[in-house]
Amino acid sequence: MDSAVAQKTWELENNILAAEAPDPSSDSIFYYDEVAQAKFLKDKPWANDPHFFKRVKISALALLKMVVHARSGGTIEVMGLMQGKTDGDAIIVMDAFALPVEGTETRVNAQADAYEYMVDYSQTNKQAGRLENVVGWYHSHPGYGCWLSGIDVSTQMLNQQFQEPFLAVVIDPTRTVSAGKVDIGAFRTYPEGYKPPDDHTSEYQTIPLNKIEDFGVHCKQYYALNITYFKSSLDSHLLDLLWNKYWVNTLSSSPLLGNGDYVAGQISDLAEKLEQAENQLIHSRIGPLGTSRKKEESQLAKITRDSSKITVEQVHGLMSQVLKNILFNSVGQPKRNEQPVSDPMIEA
Amino acid sequence: MASSSSSGLTFKLHPLVIVNISDHYTRVKSQTNPPPLTSTSATVNGVEHQQQAPRVYGCVIGVQRGRTVEIFNNFELLYDPSTHSLDRPFLEKKQELYKKVFPHFYILGWYSTGSDAQESDMHIHKALMDINESPLYVLLNPTINPAQKDLPVTIYESELHVIDGIPQLIFVRSSYTIETVEAERISVDHVAHLKPSDGGSAATQLAAHLTGIHSAIKMLNSRIRVLHHYLVGMQKGDIPCENSLLRQVSSLLRRLPAIESEKFQDDFLMEYNDTLLITYLAMFTNCSSTMNELVDKFNTAYDRHSRRGGRTAFI
Repeated sequence: MDSAVAQKTWELENNILAAEAPDPSSDSIFYYDEVAQAKFLKDKPWANDPHFFKRVKISALALLKMVVHARSGGTIEVMGLMQGKTDGDAIIVMDAFALPVEGTETRVNAQADAYEYMVDYSQTNKQAGRLENVVGWYHSHPGYGCWLSGIDVSTQMLNQQFQEPFLAVVIDPTRTVSAGKVDIGAFRTYPEGYKPPDDHTSEYQTIPLNKIEDFGVHCKQYYALNITYFKSSLDSHLLDLLWNKYWVNTLSSSPLLGNGDYVAGQISDLAEKLEQAENQLIHSRIGPLGTSRKKEESQLAKITRDSSKITVEQVHGLMSQVLKNILFNSVGQPKRNEQPVSDPMIEA
Repeated sequence: MASSSSSGLTFKLHPLVIVNISDHYTRVKSQTNPPPLTSTSATVNGVEHQQQAPRVYGCVIGVQRGRTVEIFNNFELLYDPSTHSLDRPFLEKKQELYKKVFPHFYILGWYSTGSDAQESDMHIHKALMDINESPLYVLLNPTINPAQKDLPVTIYESELHVIDGIPQLIFVRSSYTIETVEAERISVDHVAHLKPSDGGSAATQLAAHLTGIHSAIKMLNSRIRVLHHYLVGMQKGDIPCENSLLRQVSSLLRRLPAIESEKFQDDFLMEYNDTLLITYLAMFTNCSSTMNELVDKFNTAYDRHSRRGGRTAFI
């Protein structure tokens, strides 16, 4: 099938680590080895190296639960805990569950309210056969990107002092829906006073103007971990079969309609940033080629990148609409062949 | 395809439930059959593949609105093999916990794994009847059969039938549809096809988006072909004419074109124009940014010796 060939070439070009063909032996990740875990906890190899954990593996179930929970909160931040284990320099997240707290950015330690819930839930889970411990927390930033705010950083630093190993995950459900891909980030903070060895460049993302200060002040205090996903063989099998019923939803999704508010917000935010950049440009003076000029340029460049991102998403949404229009509305023609509809897709 | 059950309820199932049950089953299975501890060479030992697949049990929760039952989530339960029933206090505790986070959901039924509904299941089913007068039984078949085309998930309802003069409850299969919210669909898509999570270039994003739509359209195309083939066969006389099916096909065809009104065209064109406008603005921004850089570089290259102090606004 051409699509299979095309997918393989695309995967190769993008260095996608193809999931090892899920066979029953790879399901061994689901096995919880208590002895090995206890030993790891005692050894504490992370105590000496703040950069010890480098990767995160999230199970399909955990991702699904977190995204659904984050989306159900709408524009309110929600939070929950993740359960899992460690494996060398990777933290493995097997499951996640929601906590009954409504978070706002000003709550210092929302978890204090939810301790009883957490204890109850962990106990019942252990009885029901989920033996993993809590290994991190997640919360959502609806519409403003995946990063740790000042409060988040202090919460996470506290967690990393007393509840190691602990991981912080942030999900943006609004951007997920708008961009059509999951917007998620996993972070660990550096301990107080530690200077990261180099200025590693993290993936760029747009931050709304009212949050950009909070982001800038703290962005050096934590680092992002690489996220990969895994699923069991049964999961893959089920998901493949699910596609038979699912394609209807893919075709019928209309991201443009669902995200009108968000896009409008993004554009107005961009307009404000543009004004700011303009003011900076007008009021600066010719000086020695220094950092000031570089900053303005990079600000305008950033704005350009943001605007192209918004545009690309919008165009994608429109493409879906146009396709649906062609498929379902242009039936006036006498001879309706099926071929021309799918052929242009194959050539593209 | 008429999706009705005998009691007239329509069922909607969320993919989260399916993945959850599968995960529960895999967990229990791997815990009872621990994998070999050798990490260097993969020694395939035939002994590991024990055939007894453990059954897992749990509860499904969701919402019922009128005649539509929507199953959103589920959690695990303990099964007491001695009494052949589910651990009740455990269930209540879990229900309390879930009520705090999802106050709108309530217990709709229970689930289990296996290939077929069994006699002992009716026992559990009856026990749940005091929470919900008509609980559902969701059964997942965990055996991986590569030739399978359909989801191995069945939903059973219980019905009171009079058999040999004794009113008995039996399980009746019901059909269901898969329902999803946009975010769920994206994450399922993401995990199913393991797409790269970061942006990549605009080209890869475009490719990913179009690939998704392309596969969906291919499915639509293949289904239409099947219908077409069937109709041609009927016309030739190979297949006996079935009027009800013909009626359904005709009603399906009559639904096209989906929308054909002035207002729709106007709104559609307006949306199209909005997108073009956004593209235009983005282009503007891009051009002005490039020009700005160009002028800066020009200034740097040529004005170094003539400092006049104060910059002339060149925007």
